[in-house]
Amino acid sequence: MNVDTQNDDNVLIKVRNLRKSFDKQEVLKGVNLDVHTGEKIAIIGPSGCGKSTFLRCVNCLEDPDGGSIMFEGEDLADMKVDINIHRQRIGMVFQQFNLFNNLNVLDNITLAPIIVAKRNRKKGQTVKEIKEKEQEKAYKLLEQIGLADKAKAYPSTLSGGQKQRIAIIRALAMNPKVMLFDEPTSALDPEMVGEVLDLMKKLANDGMTMVIVTHEIGFAREVANKIIFMNDGVIEEENAPEQFFAHPSSPRLKEFLSKVL
Amino acid sequence: MEKQWNNFCRELFDNGGYKDVLNGLLATVEIAVFGLIIGIIIGTLIAMVKVVPKYKILPRILEKVVDVYVGFFRGTPMVVQLLLGYFVLLPLLGIAVDSIIVAIVIFGLNSGAYVSEIMRAGIQSVDSGQLEAGRALGLSYGKTMMRIVIPQSIKNILPTLGNEFITLIKETSVVSFIAVVDLTKAFRQIGAAHYEYLVPYVVLALVYLVLVMLIALGVKMIERRFKRSERRYSK
Repeated sequence: MNVDTQNDDNVLIKVRNLRKSFDKQEVLKGVNLDVHTGEKIAIIGPSGCGKSTFLRCVNCLEDPDGGSIMFEGEDLADMKVDINIHRQRIGMVFQQFNLFNNLNVLDNITLAPIIVAKRNRKKGQTVKEIKEKEQEKAYKLLEQIGLADKAKAYPSTLSGGQKQRIAIIRALAMNPKVMLFDEPTSALDPEMVGEVLDLMKKLANDGMTMVIVTHEIGFAREVANKIIFMNDGVIEEENAPEQFFAHPSSPRLKEFLSKVL
Repeated sequence: MEKQWNNFCRELFDNGGYKDVLNGLLATVEIAVFGLIIGIIIGTLIAMVKVVPKYKILPRILEKVVDVYVGFFRGTPMVVQLLLGYFVLLPLLGIAVDSIIVAIVIFGLNSGAYVSEIMRAGIQSVDSGQLEAGRALGLSYGKTMMRIVIPQSIKNILPTLGNEFITLIKETSVVSFIAVVDLTKAFRQIGAAHYEYLVPYVVLALVYLVLVMLIALGVKMIERRFKRSERRYSK
């Protein structure tokens, strides 16, 4: 259970004693987690255990009630921190994809990068140049997932699998340091789960740091190098996949695994 | 009856009444159009204040301010607002402004109070995931609203906004209280020439009716265009 065994220098996100309540219901009861650079962490657990809430707290989509989230030297749980800057470095993928319905695929991908690039614009750089550069980058990403022909299509004309893969590269276009996945395949038709998981595997192989809340136990076992079992608002068990599945120690994890495996 | 009709035609065409009618029509449309534009701008701002999360002190103060604003403009008659603006506020400020400008401003302020509710409902009808996705990419609340949420809410807002425009057109008939010659005033002048009001007022009603029907038709056409460009919405 000791999370501090690895070198502290490459800890990307350090979560300490994270708490969150909705009204009187305490959903997170003090969560501690270190995410190291390059690590792939899968979070599993029964529904209502707080795993999605935890992920949403990491980039402050839900404001934590207590504890700290250290990222790039700042505490994201501190309301005074400019969260927008940090969110640009933390990619997020949603269960419901959440592509912008009023924008075509290309604009979905380039909207945020163009806004950021305009803000940090170098001298002599025109808005047109910024746009062209970001669009070129977006096309490259689209080509990687074989959807370059969909650049001008609107989200509602795409399949769930296509939407989710575009949502992933939309996050990638910001050059994030870490990617958070909130049950990325739960809203997909079964035949589309594979294409999304394949893209995530490719991302993992490319060395992306990933935190994935998932019900895909097989995928977690294959891709993650650390698996976390959350239950009742706390991390009940965390381990490398082999030990995690071969020798679960907590009785509740044993019970959970017996149901899902 | 025929005599009345002839008198009406004489006043309208021979004695130059048509000029007043055309100018009046222009004034009516101007007040409604510019009033609506101002109303949309103010209404959008108020709606943003209403839907913004209230963690900090500034949004809470702003909400109180807009509550008073909306309460006043929805709680008093338009005529009273016009009178207060033209005969009380202007002398108080010591400035001379054309009465039609006053009418446009008052209509804009009034409409803003109503449009704010339309905009708020429209904004809240957009899936909250859209806002979350924008925020998760590091966009500010305002940027996400302007680029993502509000454009999507327009589709839902448009029919109701058309109704607001029609309401404004009809409400302009009271602006003669502050000496604006609008459509109603122009026809009243024609009637006053012979103290015969039957024909002018029936024609006046017909003109409003045609105006409103044209607007309704226009709104429907715009809606249809939106529908055509709107792609099947699915999650």
